[in-house]
Amino acid sequence: MDKKKGKGKKMAIIISGRVTAFIFLVTCLVLFYIFMYMAKRGWKVSIRTFPAVAAIPEAIGRAAEMGKPIYYSTGYAMETLSNPDQGPQTLAGISILGYVTKLAARSGVKIYYYTCIPDSLPLVEETMRNAYLEEGKPEDFDPDVIRFLSGQSPYLTATLGFMQRERPAANIFMGGFYYEAVVMGEAGNTIGAMQISGTANTHQMPFFIATCDYAMISEELYAASAAIAQNPDILGTIKGEDIMKLVILALIGIGFIISFTGTTFLIDLLRM
Amino acid sequence: MSEVLRKEVVYLITAIVALTMIVDYFFGIQQITDAASMIRTWAVVISAMALALGTVNLMRSHGNIVRKRVPGRWFYSGVLIFFFVLTTLLGLLNINDPSSNPIYKWLFDYPYTSLGQTLYAITGFYIASAAYRAFRARNIDAALLLIAGIFVLLKNAPIGEVIWSQLPVIGGWFNDIGQVPAMRTFLITAAFGLLTYGFRTLIGRERGFYGEVGGGA
Amino acid sequence: MSQSIWNKLQMIDRRIIYWILFIILMIPFIRPLGLPVSITDQTKDLYNGLRSVKEGEAVVINISSGVSAWAECLPSLVASVKVLNQQKAKIIFWTSFVDGQLTYEAIINKVPTMKDRVYGTDYVYLGYYAGAETGVAQLAKDIRSVFTSDYKGTPIDQLPIMKNINKAEDIKIVLSSDTGDVCDYYIRQWRVPFGTPVAEIGIAMNYSAYQPHYKAGILFGLSNGSRGGAELEKLVGELGDATTTMDAINSSHLLVIACIILANLGYLATRGQK
Repeated sequence: MDKKKGKGKKMAIIISGRVTAFIFLVTCLVLFYIFMYMAKRGWKVSIRTFPAVAAIPEAIGRAAEMGKPIYYSTGYAMETLSNPDQGPQTLAGISILGYVTKLAARSGVKIYYYTCIPDSLPLVEETMRNAYLEEGKPEDFDPDVIRFLSGQSPYLTATLGFMQRERPAANIFMGGFYYEAVVMGEAGNTIGAMQISGTANTHQMPFFIATCDYAMISEELYAASAAIAQNPDILGTIKGEDIMKLVILALIGIGFIISFTGTTFLIDLLRM
Repeated sequence: MSEVLRKEVVYLITAIVALTMIVDYFFGIQQITDAASMIRTWAVVISAMALALGTVNLMRSHGNIVRKRVPGRWFYSGVLIFFFVLTTLLGLLNINDPSSNPIYKWLFDYPYTSLGQTLYAITGFYIASAAYRAFRARNIDAALLLIAGIFVLLKNAPIGEVIWSQLPVIGGWFNDIGQVPAMRTFLITAAFGLLTYGFRTLIGRERGFYGEVGGGA
Repeated sequence: MSQSIWNKLQMIDRRIIYWILFIILMIPFIRPLGLPVSITDQTKDLYNGLRSVKEGEAVVINISSGVSAWAECLPSLVASVKVLNQQKAKIIFWTSFVDGQLTYEAIINKVPTMKDRVYGTDYVYLGYYAGAETGVAQLAKDIRSVFTSDYKGTPIDQLPIMKNINKAEDIKIVLSSDTGDVCDYYIRQWRVPFGTPVAEIGIAMNYSAYQPHYKAGILFGLSNGSRGGAELEKLVGELGDATTTMDAINSSHLLVIACIILANLGYLATRGQK
């Protein structure tokens, strides 16, 4: 368990041990840019349909029929947008919120948004307001539906209380969730709500899969928000991402085969 | 300054900062390293200021609820504001060592700690009912998941070893070897997701980052 | 009649399950079982890593778990600090959680040997740092740019423990206790660029997520919630809270398994009839 000696030693140009990473990074960025450019030039990027996203209109319809509201949340996400792992998830969740709010505004269904992330409040308010505006119903937007509670536990408790009192017809959880995932998911089941979720936090995926009717895992959350927004920038980078995943897959396969020969060529190359 | 120009300035600053960090990591040029260090220190300071932002938002949203006397909610918001002000004042009275104040310490040692642990503890109950409801052998995949789950549960609980000495071995295999490829997949895909997000932020195409979030329908 | 029994097995009211769980969780506290706990490789490696710290070497303990995670993380932290005290290591505590000080104070109160150690010379609590991963990255390069004093306001240069310690390369190992992704920050900003060994003391939910890192040798050890705490207590030779909790874990896990089996019996019995 000794510290790796010599790590970070500066070579002529690039720091030793980071050369392959640099080449890989540059390759990724170039590829993303190429696909983004092609997408903007009209090249069609198709993303498969996500059952969870396809179920959102169904959830809205259910809420409209039952005369009940919808609950929406983007999770605890470490209470900040600036977290590198959680922030993108929250933003993807807010992007999907815009879509859900439009459908809800169209059907006359009320959405309640609960959060404990203070820096997301202006974004959420603008997103929801714009959604009502685009549906031609700006007067229907009530800022009081956005409920902020500081801290994971108060946010969770408030959500449980809301679910028990208001009995929403559908719960939509899209974002960076922590232990509140299983509690909220199960509480939603208690009241018989239809539940749709999406998170990239590996430790909560099993709980959402167990408690929700539809669950998106890992990358699907980002891809779904891209598919909804139909933004060529995002769609292009997702395509580039898929290509790089194939490259990684090929490297893993080659590495697996090479490992039988006993050589460490590939490992040494990747550690360069 | 026009709205467009304001956003362009934000994109430019973000791109410069991101490039500085990338160059610092790979090239180790002393001037860039010094600049990157300074930027990181600024980021830490700005993050600390986010606490103040959270405070303002909290007071604003709950203050509005109290002011409007929203039925069913204004009382709880009032309690929140009361304890917020009380804790802040107590902390400021002993700014170098707030926990030397007995009331401050009591508030954290008893209500805060107990309530926090209670909220976390209810997770166990919900997991139990979720497992009962969701773990059904509807098909082969679900049955395999069920069996693996039982082995892992018995590996975690010391009683598993008492029931059969090989139970922890099998459960350990699922935990330590069986599920590792799947977790590695999630790690790799999550890393790519972050990479693309960072790339879009770098070139100013990540709208959500700049407050332009919206969905198509 | 028999069909309704099978249907009933599938639809037991969750309140009944909660009450049974509540009761059987109480039983071990009244009458402990005291079953032996076997040691996993992950915990053994964590323990060996702590034992490899020599006298006077500096260890960072990052507290990124709140009071809600005390049941899972605190016993491991306490056991680790006991070992580090035996090794006469210098311990630097800091936190990225607003209630991290409560955890620090709980550790100090629960480790008797802290009375034999001098604050400021043998151990120090530097306080809260903001900035998430940016803060962690800056700590790796220059601790003094993030912390100018300890939590009581004593300037950092007046603390003997901090002499010649200012960056990742000056730290022997990092123990990160967290309930989320903070260990990833230390992996990315301390372990990978500077080679500083990192171990995770986390909740059971994080255990699976960090297995790939442990298997790849990126983490030198991993503690699995309360179970990890009990294993560490056994290795240290001083049984504590986590060992007591193991009995409750036994009963709760058995109940969950029983519920799953009953539900599946009911499901399989009625499946052919649908």
